[in-house]
Amino acid sequence: MSGDGPSAELRARVLAAARAEAAPVRSEGARHRAIGVAIGFALAVFVSVALGGPALSDRQARHTALLGAAWMLVAIAATWIGVSRGRSMLGRPPAWRLLVATLTPAALLGSALAAGLSWPSTLSDDSNLTNHVICMALTPLFAFGPLVGFAFARRASDPIAPELSGAAIGAAAGAWGSLAIELHCSHTSLFHVAVGHVLPVVAMTLAGAAVGSRIVALRARTR
Amino acid sequence: MLGFAVARVAVARPSLVDVPRDTSMGVRRAEPDLAMERYAAGDESAFGAVYDALAPRLYGYLLRQTHDRARAEDLLQQTMLHMHRARDRFIAGAEVTPWAFAIARRLLVDGVRRGRREILADDGELDPGASDAPPADDLVQARELATRIERVLARLPQSQRAAFELIKQEGLSVAEAAQVLGTTVAAVKLRAHRAYEALRRALGDVIGGFEGGRP
Repeated sequence: MSGDGPSAELRARVLAAARAEAAPVRSEGARHRAIGVAIGFALAVFVSVALGGPALSDRQARHTALLGAAWMLVAIAATWIGVSRGRSMLGRPPAWRLLVATLTPAALLGSALAAGLSWPSTLSDDSNLTNHVICMALTPLFAFGPLVGFAFARRASDPIAPELSGAAIGAAAGAWGSLAIELHCSHTSLFHVAVGHVLPVVAMTLAGAAVGSRIVALRARTR
Repeated sequence: MLGFAVARVAVARPSLVDVPRDTSMGVRRAEPDLAMERYAAGDESAFGAVYDALAPRLYGYLLRQTHDRARAEDLLQQTMLHMHRARDRFIAGAEVTPWAFAIARRLLVDGVRRGRREILADDGELDPGASDAPPADDLVQARELATRIERVLARLPQSQRAAFELIKQEGLSVAEAAQVLGTTVAAVKLRAHRAYEALRRALGDVIGGFEGGRP
């Protein structure tokens, strides 16, 4: 190429650099990402088993099942919209990612409120500050595996609004963590759920925006 | 005169007038899309086709932003190698062009943020590089027009300038530009329209030519 186009020498250099730097093909990459996400969720299951596994305790089974199902739907939706890129190499529109980041905690809390109003006796219990703190610590612990898996799948891939991708990934992982803690925790009061189960999702969303974006963002390589 | 002026602008800014609009973009877009598809699937020879389909447009964009051939080539190389490294993530059926422009733009912005300011506010000199040049006086007038356009664009808010450049200069569709800029189609239309109106106000004496050719 000449004139206003890039030089022929550049073309040769780029193609030579590509040949010299092995890059996996799509099928291989998809397998790696699937394994990464699977390991992340396996880690969450391991944490769950290590803590004794899900327990109904003295909770109402239908309330627990309904809330668990609702939170699973929220987690799946947040993952589908916030983590997967859809049909575009640029991912979902930033507005969608922002919605995931903001609506995921709201949807978790809203469904907990709706379930609580359906079973008013669950709206209050004897949970105390210690219980709140324990759940605040365990929710991110459960979410850590999915978070790592999602970040691995989306690492260095986002040229547009990576902070929103990080926030959406944090919210999605947090939703899975809150689902896990919901299946373990015997406390159902709305205040405990808000503070111990949903507030960590907000924290993970903010942390995802701040830290996750550095992992998700496409970056220039220093040569 | 205006015809030569626009032609001269095209010499200085190759894709200002010679990139087809939306209808023909569909045909042109298919070429890099299919090539990238083959490359993602493991056809090593397809990367050359990806490069050939995208590099001239990306280079034109980067050169307009940096006014520095060496820097534009460096950014083009980085962009293409990012695409190479990310071939395992290429989504079947996805469009390559907005992705490539978004990568190039990100690398450009990152470079600026790191303190290497590529976007010059003054009149950048671009080599004509054309052998069949129009008469000298028309070239001079066209160059002046190009300079005026550059000045007006430089004064615009970044969001408006970026939308205008991607659509009017790089030939991206409104939807593609919206993807590259991470915003909605409506927002891009509005930004490009405002940029265009600013150009119309500033270049009222010659803008009619653009109205006819590039609505």
